[in-house]
Amino acid sequence: MTRFDAPVLTPGSPEEAVQAFGDGAGVTLIAGGTIAMPEIVHGRMKPQKVVLLRRSGLDKVSREGGKVTIGAAVPISELEQGDEPLATAAQNVADGEIRAQATVGGNLCAGPGRDTPRGDLQAPLLVLGAQVRSAGAGGERTESLEEFLAGDYRRRLVLDVSYSPADATGYAAFWRPHTHHYTILAIAAARANGELRVAATGVAPHAVRLSGVEQSGNAADALQGIEPPDDALASGWYRTQILPRLVEQALSSL
Amino acid sequence: MKAVGARLPRYDGVAHVTGRTQFVDDVRVGNLLWAKALRSTVHSAEIKGLDLSKAEKMKGVRAVITCADVPQNVYGHLEALGIPGDEPLLADGEVRYLGQPIALVAAEDEGTAMEAIEAIEVDYAEREPLFDIRKAADSNAPKIHQWGNWYTHFEDEMDRRQIRKGDIEAAFEMADTIVSGVYRPAAIEHIPLETQTALVVPEPSGRLTIYSCTQALYFSMGVVAAHLQWPLNKLKFVGGTVGGGFGGKVDTATETMSALLALKSGRPVKWRWTREEEFLCSSTRAPWHMEIADAVTKDGWILGRKMLTLHDSGAYARFSPYGLTKHSFHHTGAYTIPNLHFDGYVVFTNRVPTTAMRGFGVTSVSFATELHMTRVAQILGLDPFEIRLKNANRVGDTSPNGIAYADPSTVPTIQKIAEAIGHELPADYRSMNGEARQGELLPEHLVAQVGDPEAH
Amino acid sequence: MELTVNGVSREVQSPPLTPLLFVLRDELGITGPKAGCQQGGCGACTVLVDGEPRRSCLAPLAAFDGAEITTVEGLGTPEKLSTVQAAFHEHYASQCGFCTSGFLVATHALLESTKDPSCHDVEAALAGHVCRCTGYVKILEAVEAAARGDVGEVSTVTRPQEGQPEVLVPGSPA
Repeated sequence: MTRFDAPVLTPGSPEEAVQAFGDGAGVTLIAGGTIAMPEIVHGRMKPQKVVLLRRSGLDKVSREGGKVTIGAAVPISELEQGDEPLATAAQNVADGEIRAQATVGGNLCAGPGRDTPRGDLQAPLLVLGAQVRSAGAGGERTESLEEFLAGDYRRRLVLDVSYSPADATGYAAFWRPHTHHYTILAIAAARANGELRVAATGVAPHAVRLSGVEQSGNAADALQGIEPPDDALASGWYRTQILPRLVEQALSSL
Repeated sequence: MKAVGARLPRYDGVAHVTGRTQFVDDVRVGNLLWAKALRSTVHSAEIKGLDLSKAEKMKGVRAVITCADVPQNVYGHLEALGIPGDEPLLADGEVRYLGQPIALVAAEDEGTAMEAIEAIEVDYAEREPLFDIRKAADSNAPKIHQWGNWYTHFEDEMDRRQIRKGDIEAAFEMADTIVSGVYRPAAIEHIPLETQTALVVPEPSGRLTIYSCTQALYFSMGVVAAHLQWPLNKLKFVGGTVGGGFGGKVDTATETMSALLALKSGRPVKWRWTREEEFLCSSTRAPWHMEIADAVTKDGWILGRKMLTLHDSGAYARFSPYGLTKHSFHHTGAYTIPNLHFDGYVVFTNRVPTTAMRGFGVTSVSFATELHMTRVAQILGLDPFEIRLKNANRVGDTSPNGIAYADPSTVPTIQKIAEAIGHELPADYRSMNGEARQGELLPEHLVAQVGDPEAH
Repeated sequence: MELTVNGVSREVQSPPLTPLLFVLRDELGITGPKAGCQQGGCGACTVLVDGEPRRSCLAPLAAFDGAEITTVEGLGTPEKLSTVQAAFHEHYASQCGFCTSGFLVATHALLESTKDPSCHDVEAALAGHVCRCTGYVKILEAVEAAARGDVGEVSTVTRPQEGQPEVLVPGSPA
């Protein structure tokens, strides 16, 4: 079958994965496959070469000296009992079967869906001040999640994500009900070392921090610098109505 | 009579729970080709150019069909019910809805079929589409169907389904209040778990065996025979195992095209719709626009009803005139209204043609009439159960189309509902029954509508 | 590549990127798992991978090297239904049957891992499975009955039980 003829490399260690990925040119990464496979099956993505991360040793979670490091191929289900607001976000991704198959790296690098927001873990990780370690053109680098998402993140091989748990967290979301719900809007908030961080899923192609709220601590500033899109789940107008309320809810648990 | 009320095992239960039930996609046939459709990417356009050459020449492609390959491209599936044909099996010079099939290919594998579709070049000259049925009659509305913007072939070439009963003007004169409402249920997609799938196998005898997921085997057989201009005995339909239909698998949407590919290639062909095709291109339950104005008395009698229904048929008529007709017979719901003025239109829009879904034509009107009854109760300050019980159909009451009810169950049903939710009814309402009206339940204005249940 | 399905080791030729669902259905002729949406949204393709329920439409063949796959066909046969299969049959938890394989496989995994599942456990385990026919109530009843081990003998013959009156309750649903 022409759709599935691309060669598949299955590196057996992080080093092998980095080598197989090279600078990412012509490489399609598949970890859980929950996002990539439907694109391939329906002919929207035509891979030339696939690097499968199943056995690449990128599936470890470690806690050392207050820092948590999550490998890119860790399934989302492993985060469900972990640190907030990551845990609540993870619990509400799709359903149990998908969560066991989908990975943190895949979710981070999801890219905007054609019709719906994706990457539910981006916002919680943003407020936890996550750092992303990735390989690709120019070699390995570690940067903040914001920098990662602002850059050529679709051409990077995420190795792991690390953060330190926050002092207080909040999470509020609004879903479209389904067997597994679709996130229309979600707000993650965290206070760590006296600093307030607030991030939103569903107002932009990837999760973004709400700088207005971070500065004032006031939910009324939620829409500053934000222009929520229309998509299959909700109109931009609707999102602007709901957003301040969700921010208020998320802030109330801090 | 031993089976009535007994708990019997499903005859297909064991097959279902062991994964042995054979749906169309489960039938294994060698030498199989996979079909894919080229579908319109615009809502309304003339097809100025269609270049199939790259697809036809592609390695692995074994057949390509367009409207030119269909012996009878336009065939009305309900011609036997007097609904003339209007819809081409494959688009002929124009498209009227996004997703309308223009051409199909059959190839050695699904991926090649998909690439062949991508290699077909279509030149669309887009036209202004019409999406809002309320605007169909505007003088500046685009004319989107050869019959105008609504169906014009009801009996005596009427352009609407019309019901007139009693004297509506008198009813409106007599009324204490007029209660109006507008009801607009949206389209609903059936979402069967099994997407529409057909498998056609050419037999050595020259016949075709068609594995179909249709809900109506003989009906679909007739449709395919008509499009192919074949005698029925050249077709063998295998089916009856439907992975969810709900009314959405009566359109015979895959069988004829798959048959044409099988004939052209000489090989078995399978066409399995994707979930996207089901959502975007398969027919849905129609959107409706219903306006009701009831002439009511302050003690809760519904003297008369004026109703206008616009049914969104999508780009073609399909079964819509039939659905609207059923709708019209039920436009008073479970209640007796002696004076009626109903007009219903089957309106065309540049949307996917709509079809049957569980209670075709009637679920919409039930929705509207029930909401409207509650609205009447609210405006009059009356109990919503009592107003229903008063106006409920009883033995001898006549329907909108003049049939006298022999055994309507409205009264006991409403009483049971009240009981079930703990709604106290006054004694005289608790003791009501569905027998023929008399005394206070037969006011002057209801006398003339009483009929003879034995008459039918 | 070798794939062990329902206890049998099979040699498969499909390219490594082929979704497991298509390998099972098209190459191996195992048609229990269904193509309901091919995007992981419906659960009709769910199979067990080393006992864990996974969407077979979402994972490429290459991910299953060395894995043991179980489909609904591996749970039981018409001659010897598993408890879960018998419960679904007895409680009319299957109407058109298209979603049934996925539900059975997921239920089987649940009951293997959780001896006394709560309502919440059951709903969480089956959350990814869509049924358009039953309205889910009978499915949940079947799962609860299977969890209790409360499943009678299964009959494939449509005949009312001995000793039943001619007509039970007029209009009573089966």
